[in-house]
Amino acid sequence: MIFRELWSITGEVVQALLPLVIFFLLFQFFYARRPWSFVRQVLTGTALAAAGLILFLLGVQVGFLPAGEEMGAALAGLDRPFLLMGLGFAFGLLATIAEPAVWVLCGQVERASGGYIPEKLILIVLSLGVGVFVALGMGRVSLGWPLYYLLLPGYILAIILIFFSNPTFIAVAFDAGAVVTGPMIVTFVMALVLGVAGAIEGRDPVLDGFGLVAMVALAPILAVLILGFFFKEKE
Amino acid sequence: MIKQGQEILKETAMAILPITFFVIFLQLFFLELPLATLGRFLGGVALVAAGLFLFLLGVRVGLLALGEMVGSEMLQRGNIFTILLITFALGVAVTVAEPGVQVLALNVDTATGGEISHTLLVGVVGLSLGIFMALAVLRIFLGISMGYILAIGYTVIIILSFFVPAHFVPISFDAGGVTTGPMTVPFILSIGLGVTSVLPRRSTVGDSFGLMGLASLGPVLGLMLLGVMQG
Repeated sequence: MIFRELWSITGEVVQALLPLVIFFLLFQFFYARRPWSFVRQVLTGTALAAAGLILFLLGVQVGFLPAGEEMGAALAGLDRPFLLMGLGFAFGLLATIAEPAVWVLCGQVERASGGYIPEKLILIVLSLGVGVFVALGMGRVSLGWPLYYLLLPGYILAIILIFFSNPTFIAVAFDAGAVVTGPMIVTFVMALVLGVAGAIEGRDPVLDGFGLVAMVALAPILAVLILGFFFKEKE
Repeated sequence: MIKQGQEILKETAMAILPITFFVIFLQLFFLELPLATLGRFLGGVALVAAGLFLFLLGVRVGLLALGEMVGSEMLQRGNIFTILLITFALGVAVTVAEPGVQVLALNVDTATGGEISHTLLVGVVGLSLGIFMALAVLRIFLGISMGYILAIGYTVIIILSFFVPAHFVPISFDAGGVTTGPMTVPFILSIGLGVTSVLPRRSTVGDSFGLMGLASLGPVLGLMLLGVMQG
């Protein structure tokens, strides 16, 4: 069974990779003409990253996903919304720290800013943001709040914060929003929340699931914009 | 190389160990997961850790260099029209190939009973992301503040959300999130850094980022417009 998973995941990664590699080779031959050593370096790195991503996705699929589903169902039985929200916070926070692309973004921010914005600072702030929003998402599932109550005020707040935040942080914030919705959050945390939803009567797992990705994407935007607001005053 | 490896090993441990210990902690005090599930979880942890290590290594060895090369060469050699065209084509290709987009398209096709077909969704998402990625590069080039574009974009989205059929709203927002998978993030991220590294004017840190944030605005707007037209 693990071989079937491995096969389909490999197919997905290769499919996502193919346009990048084709683009690179065309660009190299018709445009850039960098030395062969550079081409070799890029292709080696790409192959390593692809192999790593395959292993990562496989581990999430065969190990984390079933554990998430069973934990969600078991935790729903506790029937204590605040405890569920606390656990949602912890899982949102810890899963963001385990998200591959998040590390890449935070590392690049530190590098581009010459260490002025440390990698760990951004990592912690956006993980806290995701934690808070997964907690709200848990609250939504267990108490039945409508999605609009959270999403619309969230985006309106983001628009207002844009005018008060440091410009560097605005760009990073919206990038972070696109980056956090990676395999660990979308697969593992989603399985956990849907496990809870499935165990509570009268919840539609499909509808509850659709909104969660949007909420997770909003979290780092708000968190990093707020960080930028305070950073401006320090300068 | 060895020093880099140690650094990445440390990062991998910091990324994976907290969630692992938390699950074990819950299992010891609160949960009674079957041992088979716990065993598979621990096997998953080993795979995820090995995978993250290789991924971060590969990103640092090759993927970042690739994006920075494309970003800087594009700006040095091409005119602005060619640059926008290349960025647009790249955005479309990367999105259409992204597994997350294909999964969303299939789910939506099924959930709407074919009202929004697989091809239509992938087409709209790919084109709108391509357009916005080209706009994002144009923004870096012209030095327009990111804040204005985002504020206008999200205001339009909020207004549109009142005119779009209700089931379109979550689908549209999700489409913005799934278009950038872990493979494309390092690449697109470093294109921004490459472009700003050769910019004729003085650039700021804010110039290098925002490519993905702006690009992911595209699919949300694109799908909402589709919803207005169909509704």
